[in-house]
Amino acid sequence: MPKGMFIDTTICTGCKSCQVACKQWNGLSAEPAHFGRKPGVSYPVAHNFTGDSYDNTGSLSATDWRHVRFVEQIDEPRTQKRWLFSSDSCKHCTDAGCLNACPTKAIQRTDLGNVVVQQDTCIGCKFCIPSCPYGVISFSEETGTARKCTLCNDRIHNGLGTACAKACPTGSIRFGEVADLRKRADARVAQLKSKGEKAQVYGYDEADGLNVFYLFVDGPKVYGQPEHPIVPQRRLVLCSLVTILTALGIGAAALVSFRERLNGTSEEGRHES
Amino acid sequence: MSPEIIQAPEWAWYYIAIYFFVAGTSAGAYFIGTMEELFGSGREREVSRAACYIAFPLLTLVPIPLIADLGRPERFWHLFVYNQAGYPYLNLQSPMSVGSWVLLVFSVCALLSFLDNLVADKIISFPLFSRYYNRIPRKLYAVIGSLAGFFIAGYTGVLLNVTARPFWAATSPLMGALFIVSGASTGAAAISLFLIWRKRNSGGEVERLEAFDRVVMVAELVLLAALLVMAGRTAAPLVSLPFIVMFWMGTVVFGIVVPLWFKIRSRAERFGANPVLAHYLFILLGGLLLRISLLQAGQL
Repeated sequence: MPKGMFIDTTICTGCKSCQVACKQWNGLSAEPAHFGRKPGVSYPVAHNFTGDSYDNTGSLSATDWRHVRFVEQIDEPRTQKRWLFSSDSCKHCTDAGCLNACPTKAIQRTDLGNVVVQQDTCIGCKFCIPSCPYGVISFSEETGTARKCTLCNDRIHNGLGTACAKACPTGSIRFGEVADLRKRADARVAQLKSKGEKAQVYGYDEADGLNVFYLFVDGPKVYGQPEHPIVPQRRLVLCSLVTILTALGIGAAALVSFRERLNGTSEEGRHES
Repeated sequence: MSPEIIQAPEWAWYYIAIYFFVAGTSAGAYFIGTMEELFGSGREREVSRAACYIAFPLLTLVPIPLIADLGRPERFWHLFVYNQAGYPYLNLQSPMSVGSWVLLVFSVCALLSFLDNLVADKIISFPLFSRYYNRIPRKLYAVIGSLAGFFIAGYTGVLLNVTARPFWAATSPLMGALFIVSGASTGAAAISLFLIWRKRNSGGEVERLEAFDRVVMVAELVLLAALLVMAGRTAAPLVSLPFIVMFWMGTVVFGIVVPLWFKIRSRAERFGANPVLAHYLFILLGGLLLRISLLQAGQL
């Protein structure tokens, strides 16, 4: 039975205890500052520290396996505002792009359904990084390998929940059986809808179902999630077919070009054959 | 916050784009040569001989950039053997995994063809090898090698297409096709340069190679246009500065259009040796800049 997490973003307060718990349990170092130029700013800016938001890292990375996204929605006359939070991590997709892409079997799914990068097998080819439709898995310069959330593989195989769920003070992050969590999510959506909120669950159908799924009260894009994520390997058959057809075309062109000699050769050629 | 959250692999262009180009050229040359070997009359074989002399030496360069770009280069063998259990590993869903294995097969075929030609040209002699020397194994590895060659030329494009990066995803499924065609074109140019160097660039065979290359380069232009239409807004990096010079000038104008114009013109009138040499070099440079542009445009 797959284990997973349900993130009810409506009761997240943005306290970031999950970020801290994740770093502590997994022994992740601080994010190194990467400075770069921002258009319109004359001085270099550390682009992985936002500086203009309570959202401090801006994205997931090889050392930030959990990231609390702060969405500040302010209307035009600046009278109404709404703050949305969403604690993001690896979704442990049922059809995982990173796992499909891995050429070394370093990325594996365990019996509990979580997707884990085996650090002693990964060669750091970086193919999994663009293969993740959520931009989760990242390359670590420190270890030379790909790294991401393991769903606290060591904890969950010893009967504990994930560190982030344990630390969450509001119950926004729930760890458990995916089937149970879905029931809880459906109940919560029904409750919110009865109050007139436009709540929706994100992660039932995406990538054949996400083991870590979310309750959103706005579009997925607002929370920094793709609206229609596509597992990239689903294009493989079509790409291969088109490439094979082209190869056949080139082969035919070569064949015609080099066959010409048979027609073009002088009489002796025919006598010989 | 930008919805385009998909991370770039940050493959170094000086490793990976150069690998794409070298492997594409080697594979292109090899499958052109083997096509002549398999379907030609067998009396003239300058092109297939040149192809065999080009393919393997170029391939010897390939492991260096591929391994150097890994985060843990010393573990490159994990591509072939699952290190936790020790059995060979192949992931059919991963172009990188299949590509590694086919690269191995292709290298073996290219090496055998290379040795074969060295023996046939009496540059080296293995008494045993020479005694049993005949055309049957040559055709055997020509068949396997040409299939592997087509694969090597094309899979790099498929590999880019089956990622979630916007530009690479939007150009699906044409990148593999474009890379095969470009590989054929740069392979033909490499063969022609080799023949010029050996002073054997005359006769019907070379004309047939030129005719083939004209078809291929027209196909390349068509595919490139289709690819850019499909890419739409995701191709935005291609109209920013380094790419305007690299892609539009280097690849499209000087790498394809000018050499193609030159090839079509040179059917009617003869040019001197220097422009001929130069236009092959332009084709090769254009092929290299094409790989760099398409790799980097997907990573920006």
